[in-house]
Amino acid sequence: MPPAILIKIRKYLRPDGDKNAIRIRRRRKLIGALWASLPSVIVVLLAVGYLWMLSIPFPALGQRTYIDENALQPGQVNTHWNWDDVHRADRYLEALEQLRDRNASSVEVADYLATEFRRAGLSADTQEYSFFTTNGSKTGVNAYATFSSPRASGTEAMVISASWLSRTGEGDGTLNLRGVSTVLSLAWFLRGYSLWAKDLIFVVSDGYLEGMQAWVTEYHGVSQPNLQAEPLRLSSGVIWTALNIDYPGHSFSHLGVFFEGLNGRLPNQDLINSFQRISLYTGGVPMLVYDHRDDVEILGLPSWTPESIRDNSELKEYARRAKNVVRHVAYQARGQASGVHGLLHQFRIDAITLFAVPATGPHGFHAIGRIVESTLRTMNNLLERLHASFFFFLLVGPTTFLKIGSFLPSAVLISVAMMFCGLQGWVKAGWVWMLDEAQATKDEKVHKRVGNGRWSRRQRPVLKAVMVMAATHGLGVVVFYLLTRSWYLHNSTVAPLLVSSLLAVLPLTSLLLLPKQPAQEAPLPVMLKSLNLCLTSTVISILSVLNFSLAAVIAFLTGVPLCYASSSARSELRIAKYMAYTTLAFGWVALQRYEVLKAVANWELLGVWFAPFMCIVYAPLVLQAALVCLLPSESA
Amino acid sequence: MRLSVKSFLCSLCLGTLAVARLSEEFNEELHLRPLPDGKLAARFSFSTLLKGATPRHPETLGVEDESQLYTLFPLALGQILREYAVTELHLTLNAGNWNYDRWGYPDEPGVGTGAELWAWMGEGGTVTVDSRWRGLRNALAGLFCASLGSLDEQRTTSPVLTFQPEGSLPNGNASYQLRHATLPSEHVCTENLTPFLKLLPCKSLSGIASLLNPHKLFDADWHGLGVHVRYLESAGVEVRLAFQAVFDPVRAASDKRRDWSLSAVFDRRIERVCPVARSSVIRVRLPQNEVYAIIPSPSTMDKTYATYIVQEVGKPLDVAIIRPEETLFEYLIEPQTHISVHRTLNGASQHAGQLALTITNNHDIQLQTGYLETMPWLLQFYLHTLHAHIDGMPRDDLVKLISYIPPLPHVQPALLQAVLTLPPKTTLWLTMDVVKPFLAYTEHPPDAQRGWDLPPAVFVPFASQNGSETDSDPQLHAVLSDVRSTRMYTPVLLVDLATPDFSMPYNVIIMSCTLIALIFGMVFNLLTRQFVVVRVGEQSS
Amino acid sequence: MDFIVTFPALVAGRLVLALSPLTHYLRDDHLLSSPLTSYSRLQEGIYLFKHGIDPYSGSTFRHSPLLLSLFSTVIPLNEVTAAFLWTASDALAAWSLVRIWRARQNVSSSSRDSLIAGLYLLNPYTFLPSLGQSTSSFENALCLLSLMLACQKQASASLLALAFLIQLSLPSILLLLPLLLLLISEPTSHLASPFFFKTDIRRITPLAGQFAAYILLLSGAATLVCGNLNWVEKTWGASLTLPDLTPNPGLWWYFFTEMFDHFRPFFLIVFSVHLLIYVLPLCIKFQHDILYACYLLLGILSIFKAYPTLSDPGLFLSMLSLFPETFPYLHHPIVTALLHLHAALLLPLFHYLWLNQGTGNANFFYASTLVFGMANGAALLDSIWAGLRIAIGEVKEEHEVLQE
Repeated sequence: MPPAILIKIRKYLRPDGDKNAIRIRRRRKLIGALWASLPSVIVVLLAVGYLWMLSIPFPALGQRTYIDENALQPGQVNTHWNWDDVHRADRYLEALEQLRDRNASSVEVADYLATEFRRAGLSADTQEYSFFTTNGSKTGVNAYATFSSPRASGTEAMVISASWLSRTGEGDGTLNLRGVSTVLSLAWFLRGYSLWAKDLIFVVSDGYLEGMQAWVTEYHGVSQPNLQAEPLRLSSGVIWTALNIDYPGHSFSHLGVFFEGLNGRLPNQDLINSFQRISLYTGGVPMLVYDHRDDVEILGLPSWTPESIRDNSELKEYARRAKNVVRHVAYQARGQASGVHGLLHQFRIDAITLFAVPATGPHGFHAIGRIVESTLRTMNNLLERLHASFFFFLLVGPTTFLKIGSFLPSAVLISVAMMFCGLQGWVKAGWVWMLDEAQATKDEKVHKRVGNGRWSRRQRPVLKAVMVMAATHGLGVVVFYLLTRSWYLHNSTVAPLLVSSLLAVLPLTSLLLLPKQPAQEAPLPVMLKSLNLCLTSTVISILSVLNFSLAAVIAFLTGVPLCYASSSARSELRIAKYMAYTTLAFGWVALQRYEVLKAVANWELLGVWFAPFMCIVYAPLVLQAALVCLLPSESA
Repeated sequence: MRLSVKSFLCSLCLGTLAVARLSEEFNEELHLRPLPDGKLAARFSFSTLLKGATPRHPETLGVEDESQLYTLFPLALGQILREYAVTELHLTLNAGNWNYDRWGYPDEPGVGTGAELWAWMGEGGTVTVDSRWRGLRNALAGLFCASLGSLDEQRTTSPVLTFQPEGSLPNGNASYQLRHATLPSEHVCTENLTPFLKLLPCKSLSGIASLLNPHKLFDADWHGLGVHVRYLESAGVEVRLAFQAVFDPVRAASDKRRDWSLSAVFDRRIERVCPVARSSVIRVRLPQNEVYAIIPSPSTMDKTYATYIVQEVGKPLDVAIIRPEETLFEYLIEPQTHISVHRTLNGASQHAGQLALTITNNHDIQLQTGYLETMPWLLQFYLHTLHAHIDGMPRDDLVKLISYIPPLPHVQPALLQAVLTLPPKTTLWLTMDVVKPFLAYTEHPPDAQRGWDLPPAVFVPFASQNGSETDSDPQLHAVLSDVRSTRMYTPVLLVDLATPDFSMPYNVIIMSCTLIALIFGMVFNLLTRQFVVVRVGEQSS
Repeated sequence: MDFIVTFPALVAGRLVLALSPLTHYLRDDHLLSSPLTSYSRLQEGIYLFKHGIDPYSGSTFRHSPLLLSLFSTVIPLNEVTAAFLWTASDALAAWSLVRIWRARQNVSSSSRDSLIAGLYLLNPYTFLPSLGQSTSSFENALCLLSLMLACQKQASASLLALAFLIQLSLPSILLLLPLLLLLISEPTSHLASPFFFKTDIRRITPLAGQFAAYILLLSGAATLVCGNLNWVEKTWGASLTLPDLTPNPGLWWYFFTEMFDHFRPFFLIVFSVHLLIYVLPLCIKFQHDILYACYLLLGILSIFKAYPTLSDPGLFLSMLSLFPETFPYLHHPIVTALLHLHAALLLPLFHYLWLNQGTGNANFFYASTLVFGMANGAALLDSIWAGLRIAIGEVKEEHEVLQE
């Protein structure tokens, strides 16, 4: 006779009665519990997601950078760049300054550069190009030279480039004369060595970005409809890595590294890490992420804040990293290249820009020459393309970064929350809690009591909802079409208002079109919201692999609003909500005109899909939420 | 008595030597010429002639071969030739790109990057040509310490139009076959030079061969060694060992000037002559319309050439050319050949691309050129997309397809032979779409991410085939005379194929099988188990 | 909406798209066309054939000799004709689908006709491949045609269509048995009321004989066209030995890319035989509604065949519209839909990351094919469940149906 407790347990584990029935009951209990806790789960997921985003700059999350590819061996060589080369660079600089002073045409400059390259014994040539965009055309001339290394079969090549315009202020007209003269002097210097395993290609591209775009597309034989460029008469091997030199100031104190490519593509992190080591140990120049000087007072807190906060090192570190992250997100989310190197990324070339942060000293041609030489030697060591999956990272500081695992979840969690929310909506749309007639008349408290009603199925207006969504995306296409017309670009005041007002009004028609829906069918807003959330969550989670920053931004913007978009009984409230959501969806058309123009230009010149994405994917998704708020909730 | 015996033996061996020397002769030559862009091209050529000999006939492969006693003729090579009954053989191992535009035509036509081996062999007998070809590959691989063994069926073709025999073939070409293979990723280095020197009668101890100093040779901008065996109807079997290099005196010199001397270039001088050499000559091409001095005074000298007979001039010999009043040297970029060719593989995607060639006719007369691609199956052509353009205008009529053998994975490479017509002073654009295959993970090399080297394309320019024009135009004559049958090799290409993850096999097997098993299991669950309706509501108790 | 109006409208819209330059971008997409169905390879084969080179001596061309002879003699294949051809084949497929629906409902026309046609013509899985001019759209058309003819009891025509289909793609041989059974049974819906197969099973033997005759005839014609038997190994052999490891949305390619050489033959056999396992059980279980069995087998094919393209699952999903009676009994439609949504977005993205942008590696794309496999599997399992569950019908309050 076993003790009672055992019997109890056995009874609990294996109660008598139909096994299946019990299993089903258990399952139903479980599902019931989950269903009850679902709203809180969603809240928790959202909260964690948002907090994670905010905590990305915390030093705790980051880890020290390291070199993954053993072949690189950064900084293991003696550099030979010496003062003669510096002197030569100075002479080139004088010549270039003369060209600048008698503002020579790009043709003259390119010819000068080509002849200088030829005199150095390289095969050099120039390339004319012209882009045709909705706001006028851009023309220029590139100069480039190839050095086929001794004994090398010339199947691989490295690129050393400098653009005529510096990246200061995203190409605001500052000339990159010192960068160009560095490249020229390097051409003289580097050809004197027989140790190169890869060919060297020297490119001085005209303009800021467009010149390199013309050169690199022609080099890979890709034709761009709105680009007319001379085909390159000189060819070389496959380009694996490239360095772009940007040296606008008189001299520099730090070397900043810019690495974001077009459409959020990042170079292999090994390149940045090895450059960081070389710059510090070979050249004695500390590296910066972007041009963010780390010695300046970072948190501009007012004086009345207590000392403990103002010079709290943890806080400062957080602020420093946050600054880098924000800058990174600003580039990557817009799919914008943070320098000329970014254009090479579209052809699987790992490239970075060395930006000599202007200062009164102490470094100049001597330092940058040695660093570039040593970096090229490192790149020269490569036996294979940089391939270790080192492309997904978040560089928060010169020597610290975040692995994908420690930043991706932030966006994914939010998207998961939205997915749950969507599924919840799906169930709500399919099932309705019908009260028995008896309770229907009684007061509130009774309603709350469970068991007095029952779940009853109702039809889901899936087709209608899908049609509405399709319509919104169609509207997005129309918007994109309008934004890329020339009249929009030219009359700056009227067009945005016109478009935005159109966007505000057009969806209202859905109200009129909406037919009176049968009672046994779920209300359209519920259905629409559920599908909208599912779609958005999918888009975010998939986008986060391609371009994390964009995914994060969208998750940040849409997470809460879409989850808690709901219709209400009072119509003026509905209108207000609708207006708010439409602003979120299309506000940028009216408010961010400059951004719009830049995005459109990037789309036309460089094929950055940020603009079409915002128009055709993001805005419609939010617009759907707006409609959810607008449409009357109950058919009754 | 004793002494007489000694003397007898002595005379005997001397006699044999004499007999041997009658039937063989060894000539060595060094040809030095300055190149338009300040470089210096040096070509060593050591030829040994086996008088009156004929290549072995394949039918006799079964029977015992006559014994081979050579004094000068390289025995190791000779045995291989006899063993596999090779009539004509050409092996070249090169490093670097021969830049035709700047350097013009090379003295030795075979300048394709990497290893190239082609041989003419007679048919018939018990052993097939292919098996002998395999044997030849491996034997040469052993002899020259090069990985010629991997010139297997996947790289072997028979492009008879481009690679005609340089010597003559005994009793008619009818029953002779060509085998040709290239290995662009092979790199020539010291371990190839040492066995090469061993084949010379004087090794690198004396004569011109003593200049072959590995430290300098393998620092040259371009260098390559070649072995050429051919049969000359009148003379006999000739083995010619050649070494060709392009030096950069400007890079070597401290003062960055073009002057050069043997000691500067090779870091050696000729101390003594090679006793067995019948002739050993150094020919120096003199710079045209420039001020220069050449020391020491050559044996004979004309406008274009200064010649040194090594036996005659004083030792140690150190030839040098000095340009006293040259300060800065302006490089010349005019193309040096009749046509200049660029070949690129466009597009950065790993599953498709475009092969693009630009062929420029630098003459003001119409030329034609043979075009040969021997492409391993690592790159597969879409022949229907082969199009020709001249400044944007489609001109498909200029391309005449001779023959095409499509590739078979793991079996044979593609062979494409065509004839292109080049109007005077124009550039012809030739484009063709290509697809890149996907390899199983076992087929990738250790450095899979580097990609695969693709062999060079070969061009053979020749003038248009209308006799009247040829006879009338003297300039055309001139062109014809030196254009004919000079092969031009394009640079090699690198194709990067998509790689699988090499650490995944087990995971993939597990995951795929799991998915399949899941679906299979659930399907059969649904199909076999029976349906029941159960009452779920709480029992009234 | 009236079918007479909407159908031509849809087809016209498709034609406009097919004539747009869009096709050039889609043509060589690995998701839309496999090495066995790619348009470029077809062109290459025709070119070689016209220049007197045996296209089957190489490895690029793996299409059926029938297509070769068709395009090299009867119809010249160029941009315009291609656009019309592929649109026509889709139109034919959609029309057959509608006819099948009508036959199943036993009506001459119904209100759902346009919807069904639309679901085929606007299904991205089916119309993207046909924009990419992959011959898999021909396969779909032939498949639906033979099913339609079978529903209308035109035995020989339907068998001929099937023989053509098998000339194009060997795995479709799976459809033979259910098709024969369909010929001697009713296409109308009996899912709700199962019964044992009434008609005499022996009646299929003459039909099978007829089919064999057609196959022999077509193979003979094929051999005649290319003068030797190379085509057998190059076309049919390909789907058994997987010589070309080009990525596709299926499960085979990466498995055999990563496979150890000495296990390769074994797993090839396993994978090929595995396909056959399903035929009999499905035919037995759904003997009361053979059309449904055909539908399920197409689902199996779309998951497990050697060189699938998106149009195979597309056909399966479009055919779902034939069986509205099962919809209420689907277990988890939303989950399946979301899986498909994810897969449909992931496949092209990861393909791009791996092969063009170079930041992702092969595992990314492999993972997305697994997701796609799961999505198709979920759809298949759900339709099997619904097809069986419907027989029990609505249960009353407090009751549930399950299997044990």
